[in-house]
Amino acid sequence: MARAVEDRGYSVNQVPPAAHLLVSSIQHVLLMVTSLVIPILFASQVSGSPEFAASLIAFSMLAAGLGSVIQSVGLPFIGSGYLCPNVCGPSYFSLSLSAAWVGGLPLMRGMVIVAGLVEMAIAPIIERLRKVFPTFIVGLVVAMVGVSILAPSITSFFGLAFREDAIRAPDMLVGLFSLMVMVLANLWGRRFAKMYCLLIGILSGWILAAILIPEFRHDLVAVKDAPILALPAMGAAFRGITFDLKMVVPFVVIAISGSLKSFGNLLAAQSVSEPALEETDFAPIRKGLLADGFSTVLAGLLGGMAVDTSSSNVGLAGATRVLSRWISVGAGVIFVILAFFPRLISILSMMPKPVMGASLIFAGSFMVSTGLRQMFSEPWGSRKTFVVGIAFFFGLSTAFLPSLYARAPHFVQTLFTDPLPTATIVAVVLNQVFNLDILFGRLRRKQK
Amino acid sequence: MGEQALQSVRSHRKSDNRSRRRRFVIGVVLALLMILVAVLSGCQSRYEALDLSMYQYRDTKNLVKFVYDASRILSEEGLTSLAYFRDNRARFETPDYYLYIYDTTGTNFYHAGMEEMEGKNVWDVTDKNGKRIFPLIVEALEDANNPHAWVHYSWWEPGRFYPVPKSSCHFKVATPDGEELIVGGGINFPHEEKEFIRIVVDDAAELIERVGPDALVDIADPVSEYNYRDVRVFVFRQDGEMLISPAINSTFSQTNLLECVDEVGQKPFAQALEELESADSVWEMFMAKGPYQRRLIRKCLYIREATLVDEQVYVAAITDLPEPPY
Repeated sequence: MARAVEDRGYSVNQVPPAAHLLVSSIQHVLLMVTSLVIPILFASQVSGSPEFAASLIAFSMLAAGLGSVIQSVGLPFIGSGYLCPNVCGPSYFSLSLSAAWVGGLPLMRGMVIVAGLVEMAIAPIIERLRKVFPTFIVGLVVAMVGVSILAPSITSFFGLAFREDAIRAPDMLVGLFSLMVMVLANLWGRRFAKMYCLLIGILSGWILAAILIPEFRHDLVAVKDAPILALPAMGAAFRGITFDLKMVVPFVVIAISGSLKSFGNLLAAQSVSEPALEETDFAPIRKGLLADGFSTVLAGLLGGMAVDTSSSNVGLAGATRVLSRWISVGAGVIFVILAFFPRLISILSMMPKPVMGASLIFAGSFMVSTGLRQMFSEPWGSRKTFVVGIAFFFGLSTAFLPSLYARAPHFVQTLFTDPLPTATIVAVVLNQVFNLDILFGRLRRKQK
Repeated sequence: MGEQALQSVRSHRKSDNRSRRRRFVIGVVLALLMILVAVLSGCQSRYEALDLSMYQYRDTKNLVKFVYDASRILSEEGLTSLAYFRDNRARFETPDYYLYIYDTTGTNFYHAGMEEMEGKNVWDVTDKNGKRIFPLIVEALEDANNPHAWVHYSWWEPGRFYPVPKSSCHFKVATPDGEELIVGGGINFPHEEKEFIRIVVDDAAELIERVGPDALVDIADPVSEYNYRDVRVFVFRQDGEMLISPAINSTFSQTNLLECVDEVGQKPFAQALEELESADSVWEMFMAKGPYQRRLIRKCLYIREATLVDEQVYVAAITDLPEPPY
């Protein structure tokens, strides 16, 4: 019986045995760790000291960990109750950086709080918009969630540290090996191999990287200087919270975009967790968005970077069929505990980039195919062809031609930021426009 | 029934054996990998003596390693190794960089990509801006601030007809034949390393202290080592008055640098001077408009103090910073 459960995975409300719960949570934590590159990069971009970087990472981990627990534990009014942990949100990165450049960390904290409040305000509205999100648009949004991690996953897969730098052959080998181990363990493995395919892929890729690339061994040696246990220091940079009216509009726009991304993640989490649902159940989605906004506010209050729901963790859950929300709770608790162990954080954040990239591609590919499957699960017609096709064109153009939008009028710039929000907005608007004839027809019939 | 039980026991035993065998194989593979990691960790890299920590880009590090490897071959095998270099041109001319060897008078012994240069003297050859490249290489090799003798200039790629910006690093090699040779390698379209501006600013500060006001003429000269691509060493007084402008070849239009703000309203010069009260040199980041895309990009300012006769002045240069991969 136990073996049957292991082969099938765990359903959303099932509590796995303690050992499985722990190992599965660790597997998810390893994927969440890939997002720590954001506070690390942030600290380097604002010339932060190592102490500043350590505290920023710790506060971000605290916010993400607590956010994951709130999201999944099953509280009455907040949290989706799906396996959908929080990580440092890449969509907030550049704007947070701009805020830090203008007014230091206090302004970044203030604006992150504003963004979180906006997300919380959006949550109840999303539920009322159920009519504008038919199944095929939900599928499109889920597919675009996978597409939105394309850039970080591919650049990491090739081990790239800076734009336009050289790519090393050993990095490519490590990435490919890691990805193949994950995929083959998932396809051909049984029981543990299937369930922990990502963990196995990460560890084997890491070992290969340590063999092939001396840099990774040297990095690990450097870790010995980090303290084993330490409380995050509230240095001078972390004191105070300020606001700037000029930054409100860009932060509101990014909060809407972040909400749409989390909306996509939560839809994907629902698709994999409750496949029997014939229609989207918007109640957990609303509660999930509320939790996401609350976690972002928490991140601002704590002094960490804005958090977001993690697409890759939802993808991992779907790929392994291990969907228990308790794993998300476990991963959140581990993330909170890890925040007090700088040496462990240092080791984990030294995960070779190609291994990180392989993990993201593994999880992202599941998201893309889940979305496409969902999209084509209902009868297709010309209207849908144009809605989806045009949304794809404009959505993907933000990734292929970012410089084009940098020179566009301001209102276009705010709408065309990232494949996910852009494709979602275009699809929703076009779907309403292309169905105007049906609407008018109904109105006319009613009048008659 | 008994037969069935026996079959079930046999199949269990078979599956147990298979799983034991699988576990054994996995254990052996893991152990071998661990041993390999341990052995490799103890191995010494041939670049152990080469400090590359000052460079940010792999391309730059790879070029220094590439030239260093060639310098080792040359120092061990002397002039006989030239035959090896000539027989393996493809190995020493990659799409990114290429190798060359000169004597100290500027006579070319070997050029991986431009065979026709071999035997010619390039001492007086200048690039399109009038920069005399070879004398700059010789100076760079004597410069303690410039451990890998970097020189920046414009040249062209073999078979092409348009100018290409280049940065080259060099090592001086004493061969067993008693020859003193210069081995160097160039990179086309180089990345702007912070180390490059550290070298030119430190050199300029030393020149000011050694030569006095005449140094300003050399530093402002567009074909001197202090000016390359978009980088320009400039000098200003404590009150922000420019002695050499960061933007143009004149100071007729004075802007007080201490009052200058970047794209997000910060005053990088004023901030840097505050930090210089407790340091000899500082790196100050600021935001500027990127070309064409007009989005904001990070740049950095390297400033150090120098004494010009009896006056405290500041020597500085600006460069781009590496951008995240996405």
